Amino acid sequence: MEQLTNLIISDRELTAISNVLMKLMNDTNATSSMLLDKSGQVVALQGNGIRRDATTLGALLAGVFSSSREVAKLLNEKDFRNIFQQGVQENIYTTMVEEQWLLVIIFDKLTHIGLVKVLSKKASDELGRILERVRSDTTRTKSSVLNLQFRSSVEDTIDLLFRD
Amino acid sequence: MALINIATHEIHCKIVYYGIGYCGKTTNLQHVHRSIHPSARGEMLSIATETERTLFFDFLPLDLGTVHGFRTRFHLYTVPGQILYERTRLAVLNGADGIVFVVDSQAEKFEENIQSIAELDANMRRIGKDLMTFPLVMQWNKRDMPNALPVPVLERYLNRMRVPSFEAVASDGRGVFASLRAISKNVMAQL
Repeated sequence: MEQLTNLIISDRELTAISNVLMKLMNDTNATSSMLLDKSGQVVALQGNGIRRDATTLGALLAGVFSSSREVAKLLNEKDFRNIFQQGVQENIYTTMVEEQWLLVIIFDKLTHIGLVKVLSKKASDELGRILERVRSDTTRTKSSVLNLQFRSSVEDTIDLLFRD
Repeated sequence: MALINIATHEIHCKIVYYGIGYCGKTTNLQHVHRSIHPSARGEMLSIATETERTLFFDFLPLDLGTVHGFRTRFHLYTVPGQILYERTRLAVLNGADGIVFVVDSQAEKFEENIQSIAELDANMRRIGKDLMTFPLVMQWNKRDMPNALPVPVLERYLNRMRVPSFEAVASDGRGVFASLRAISKNVMAQL
């Protein structure tokens, strides 16, 4: 399937995403939750513990997921939709949202994995519906954000910053 | 795929450095990391083996600051170059917005370079992209080596896409930023 070149997330949809993440975090008593694009970029984040390292965490978790997808193919499996990383104190559960996003929940030993699995499935369905709206809005919104002025300013900034 | 977050006023793009083992992909990122002001970059992350060869990827987040109200960020990745790691390269390519193909200019690496660009072409098709139209620049690295092939030869056999190309000696920084500037502009133009 041809991928979209980009995704544009509006205020309204980001609020909807943040509400889903917040509800999931509260209902599971998790410490943090985030939504990643499969390229590793952080779309939204709830919880304070990981804020400082969110960019790196995003790159690593998306890398792990991408790599596990290749493992799946070697086993003639379409993909692994969830990954559970279990630590002594902290655990991470990652689940795919419509081949495009990854929902990540970080929780400690006070939360049972079964609850995380069930509620993240519900949250993932809801995020899937938001993703559909984001996809259909992207083309419409693009030209208003990425206008000529923006493009020329970005070029100037690139020249200024990336110089020998 | 680039992510444009209107709510937080952020744009994120992913650039991948691709090429054979020891061609200088990690060296490119290390030079950028060393040279760019710390306020415009995050920490560089490397997942390497004990012998310092890239096992999974290197990662360097760059922050262009705010441009017309949008905070623009580029995430640079390298793939592991060793032939063995083809599946890992595919995993890192996922969601890329632009590619810098780093070529080891030495004559004895010529065939390996040809195989690598063919593999990239195949991998792009696997993720539903066409290398002929995708943001791509070529970097002819290791130009200081005595056995470096002439640039016209590299152009002819490795740059069938006729994309911009840059001579480089990444170990002393030559050509690193020229390649990065070109791919960044190319990526932004295609958004």
